[in-house]
Amino acid sequence: MGSEGDPVGLEVRELSIARRGRAVLRGASLTVRRRRVTVIVAPSGAGKSTLLRCCNGLLAPDSGEILLDGAPLASLEATALRRRVGLVGQLPVMLHGTVAENLAYGLSEHDDRSERALTRALEEAGLDAGFLARPAQALSGGERARVALARALTRGPELLLLDEPTAALDGAIAARIGETLRRLAHTDGLGILLATHDLAFAATIADDAVALRDGRAVEGAPDEVLAAAEAAARAGRSAHAAPTSEAAP
Amino acid sequence: MSSAIAQVVAGSAFVIGAALLAWRYELGLARPLVTAAVRAGVQLAAVGALIALVFRVPVLAIAFVAVMATTAALTSGSRLRALPAARRAAAVAIAIPALSATVILLAVGAFSWTPRAAIPTAGILIGGAMSATTLTGRRLLEALDTGGDELETRLSLGDAARRALAPFTRQAIQTGLIPVIDQTRSVGLVALPGTFVGLLLGGASPASAARLQFTVLVALLAVELLSAAIVAELIARACIRPGERIVLPAEAAAAPPAVAPG
Repeated sequence: MGSEGDPVGLEVRELSIARRGRAVLRGASLTVRRRRVTVIVAPSGAGKSTLLRCCNGLLAPDSGEILLDGAPLASLEATALRRRVGLVGQLPVMLHGTVAENLAYGLSEHDDRSERALTRALEEAGLDAGFLARPAQALSGGERARVALARALTRGPELLLLDEPTAALDGAIAARIGETLRRLAHTDGLGILLATHDLAFAATIADDAVALRDGRAVEGAPDEVLAAAEAAARAGRSAHAAPTSEAAP
Repeated sequence: MSSAIAQVVAGSAFVIGAALLAWRYELGLARPLVTAAVRAGVQLAAVGALIALVFRVPVLAIAFVAVMATTAALTSGSRLRALPAARRAAAVAIAIPALSATVILLAVGAFSWTPRAAIPTAGILIGGAMSATTLTGRRLLEALDTGGDELETRLSLGDAARRALAPFTRQAIQTGLIPVIDQTRSVGLVALPGTFVGLLLGGASPASAARLQFTVLVALLAVELLSAAIVAELIARACIRPGERIVLPAEAAAAPPAVAPG
């Protein structure tokens, strides 16, 4: 298991970004260490996906900066950056072709594109070699989520960003993915930043936790952050059920 | 009865017949049919008079072609509103291929350097370029509008922005060229094209009409491909930002330009 002395992979400093005219992040700062799983918890629309896409270079922040191993993302070659920092989106898109073609998509002759390597990535994500020849766009939501994870792994990332990775998975598969992610962090040394609002899943996997509140990141011990998120979610549900109560704005 | 009067009477009879049919079946098309026919008659009469003037003063042919190209650019640009500076993009995509091809056809002697030859040739090529520009542009903008997740996936997997956009632009160009490819493949089998018919009616031999029609058709193929490629390229350029990022046209219109990460 990692420790707080593990090297910093990504450092997000005072990140602000507006999307479609709305300020989503307002000076968010956080650290993602290698060998650790950092979980971001926040309600939908709080900016989790935006933060992950900034970390992958898909979005440019309005202000603030992100450092990868101490180097600003702007100074890095974008395509190489995205291979080093893999992103698995909330809605995994399968490209046209088989699962094997999806896994090998964009790999160069320097990458390991062997069937063995593709199978290993699939197995990491909880699928077997029988999926390689299947048309990717015919897979179920849960299978797509796992192929998307495997596809990110075939690039050999140093850091992995995951947006709601268990949203389409049942409990057993989610637990297995959780084990895989912990092993990737603790054994293989990846830094993992995972956004979820599944607090039960987050509790099983988090080495570090961050809550997004009003566009800012609040870092803390996982049990404290998750407990606060649970309390906030409960308060939100109560407010929703009884809009005249004090909790309601 | 002279043939001119016979043409007008026959044309009017067709319009009246169509309008009566539309009225009988309560299609609500009787008035639009008549209006369209009257409008077409007035426009063609005006164009005929204008062209007669151009034939007498050949230098006016340049202005006439410029008006055709401008009208085509405005028409196509209005169909591509999601694209910033759509009219300018449409003007480039239409004018460069169509006018270049017209000049080449005139320069090599395929057609004579006269308004009588140059104006219809330019008109056909500008019309084809407009069709390809509009079809390709609209198809690409629609595909980008619905394909944001796929684009992000391709970028996330390490594609450069241009490579991520390539499947979208390729598909749009293919769609934009379907009409001209079908027209070329079926020429003479499904319908006799306008140049061919016009030449025959004007007294040219079938062999000469076929030869000229073939020249126009293959020129159209090249012009439309170039127009489709240009508009696709201009749309792609409008989407690509520094750092191999893609901002979709609709998103760009809703937000200020992205800045490089700090």
